[in-house]
Amino acid sequence: MEQILQTIIIGLSNGLIFALVALGYTLVYGIIELINFAHGDLFMLGSFIAFVLISSVFVITADTPLTLMVAQIALIIAITMIATAAINLSIERVAYKPLRNAPKLAPLISAIGMSFVLQNIALLIFGPANKSVNAILPSVNILSAVGITGVTISAEQVFVAIVTIPLLIALTWFVNKTRQGRAMRATAQDPDTAGLMGVNVDRTIAITFLIGGALAGAAGVVQILYNNTSVWNLGFRFGLNAFTSAVLGGIGNLQGAVLGALVLGLINAFSDRYLAANWTNAIVFAVLIGILVFKPTGLLGQQLADRA
Amino acid sequence: MSASSRPIQPGIVGWLTHLVSSALNLPGAYRRELERRRGRTLAMTILAVFAMAYPVLNRLYFQPFSRNVFPLPFPEDAVVTFMMIFGIMAIGLNIVAGFAGLLDLGYVAFYAFGAYTAAFLASPHFGSVSVVLFSNTIQGFPGIHFPFWMLVPLAMITAATFGVLLGAPTLRLRGDYLAIVTLGFGEIVPVVFKNLAAVNFDFGPIHLVNANLTGGNLGINPIDAPHFFGIKFGSSSGIAAVYLGMILLVGAILTARNLERSRMGRAWIAIREDEVAAEMMGINTVRTKLLAFGLGASFAGVAGVFQASYQGLTTSDFFTFATSILVLIMVILGGIGNIWGVLVGALVLVFVDKTFLPWLGLRFTEISPDLPNPSQFNFLIFGVLLVAMMRFRPEGFIPSRQRAAELHHAPPGQAIGAAATMGDAAIAGEEAVEELAAEQEAIATADEAAEVIDIEGPPGDAPGRAGT
Repeated sequence: MEQILQTIIIGLSNGLIFALVALGYTLVYGIIELINFAHGDLFMLGSFIAFVLISSVFVITADTPLTLMVAQIALIIAITMIATAAINLSIERVAYKPLRNAPKLAPLISAIGMSFVLQNIALLIFGPANKSVNAILPSVNILSAVGITGVTISAEQVFVAIVTIPLLIALTWFVNKTRQGRAMRATAQDPDTAGLMGVNVDRTIAITFLIGGALAGAAGVVQILYNNTSVWNLGFRFGLNAFTSAVLGGIGNLQGAVLGALVLGLINAFSDRYLAANWTNAIVFAVLIGILVFKPTGLLGQQLADRA
Repeated sequence: MSASSRPIQPGIVGWLTHLVSSALNLPGAYRRELERRRGRTLAMTILAVFAMAYPVLNRLYFQPFSRNVFPLPFPEDAVVTFMMIFGIMAIGLNIVAGFAGLLDLGYVAFYAFGAYTAAFLASPHFGSVSVVLFSNTIQGFPGIHFPFWMLVPLAMITAATFGVLLGAPTLRLRGDYLAIVTLGFGEIVPVVFKNLAAVNFDFGPIHLVNANLTGGNLGINPIDAPHFFGIKFGSSSGIAAVYLGMILLVGAILTARNLERSRMGRAWIAIREDEVAAEMMGINTVRTKLLAFGLGASFAGVAGVFQASYQGLTTSDFFTFATSILVLIMVILGGIGNIWGVLVGALVLVFVDKTFLPWLGLRFTEISPDLPNPSQFNFLIFGVLLVAMMRFRPEGFIPSRQRAAELHHAPPGQAIGAAATMGDAAIAGEEAVEELAAEQEAIATADEAAEVIDIEGPPGDAPGRAGT
């Protein structure tokens, strides 16, 4: 029982990181029907940017006083989000925007190319080996404070939730309540009509990429503080996990992406714990293929008009 | 009129008869072609002779020159062999992605099926049994030893079967979803081959205790080198293997050309251009796409069997996503939909990847040991190449004119963004005219082709008669 609870906790915290990346996939797919293959690698770049900030710029250690550490981490998250948002916007300008009117597979192939470019830039700068930071979050069991033993929730896992959940709420608010969010939903439904209604389609798409990039950056920071390590090809598998989450929840559907990510996090954790870790990737891909074949609309259904 | 002008009989026998009669008519066909298009035919002849002589020239003159006189990037025999292997793969992927327009991002899986077919059926891996077919030299060896000429069709069948098994449930998906499904498949297959190293299975007559089926991380070796008439064609036999690869490659080219010009090939192109319209014209789209998938996969099976037999080993690490993408880049760079284009793409890319970049790296180190080694960042170059090709020349460097016209003219309803201005409309009109011209040219080419190879058929209806 305790083991199962522990596995669920691990699965949910992994799922929350998946969710941040999955939202980037689902936002972009919802609006221009592009599987943004480079998104996972953007997340990887985000974790490397955070790596540089933590280890060289701010030099945070476990001894840093708590208030200072909170302020520094908040600053790191902000800087990384801005950086990845800017990178994502430039990628959109260079690789996707010129292909708006090309056949649909052209931007996908361009995205694959971009993914390799980002991976190799990281390889060029950081080398082929894993890059690690020292654990800076205190290693305490939050649950032991309230007298529960046997199951642990670490400070890292709390940190994941503290960063991720407000971002998810903010995104939902932005898309559903603001004027720009309405423009995004309109563009997702029908870009031509949205354009005729006065929506600046190009700007809306750019903002979508900015938001997706920022979320990937935040996920990168969370990743490196949670796992304390990053590597140049981290983004490929992670990105496919996140994409699977988006598909699982119903691509284009924000709540779906979060739900899908949590489910996939659990699948990952349970497969690692109870099956065998070397089969986990195969299982994730089998889930992806199964969903696409049998229920392409996902768990919560697609929220975009089918323009295929 | 010669014997081959009779309509081709269906079935294997008819196909073989056709093959023999066309072979007998080759001198005549060549003479006619020489009369019709003298310059082009002569140039092609010289090119073909040079290609056939190249491995020998390379070994006797080019490589010694590079070693002793002046360092130039002339490929090693192994690299030339890999050019053949990837040439076969590129031609196979071109059937799927170029002719039928289905983006397959997991093509490497079928390569793996081919390689493991050779590994299972021509190695001492299953040492508890001894099955040796058609060979006196290795009689009594442990393991299963099929001869190479039997492995090739077996690998084709295996790869095609898995292609159909994957395609059957997935080919109804939209293009980008299909791409992702194939990618997932391409990732699962190596994982399966990697993990089946300690299998416990007990059901019915099969009892496996910690059975090492696939060799896991280490893979399977040694795999028998191809051997005919007592001659080995493995990695130790240098240019002999190159020529075996060349024979397989020429077989792949001829098969792909015939497929392209067949009723089915026209059906593939019709589906690529407009699936709904093709279906309206009576094409069974699911069956036709499945055939493209299966046939395309069988090419990778051949490439895999040759790779494994040639190198004498195979491991799951060979079959990565990067390899799938490398083949895709060959197809896109060369000219998607054009057999000669993708062939050149494969030759050039293998050369760049395995010979030119390492050579450049050596030159860099001579200048300064601190300079980065370009062969480590080959995929940075290839990634930039993919993005640039999609943006500036999606039809590739040696394009199929028909495909080029399609790529520069998005079908209606896919265009998003601002409403079309007058200028856009004018450009679209021009493109439509271009496309029409290209299509007419395709019709003309098909007629010419029909004349050259003496296939009966009323003129002018070649693409129109596509159907199954």
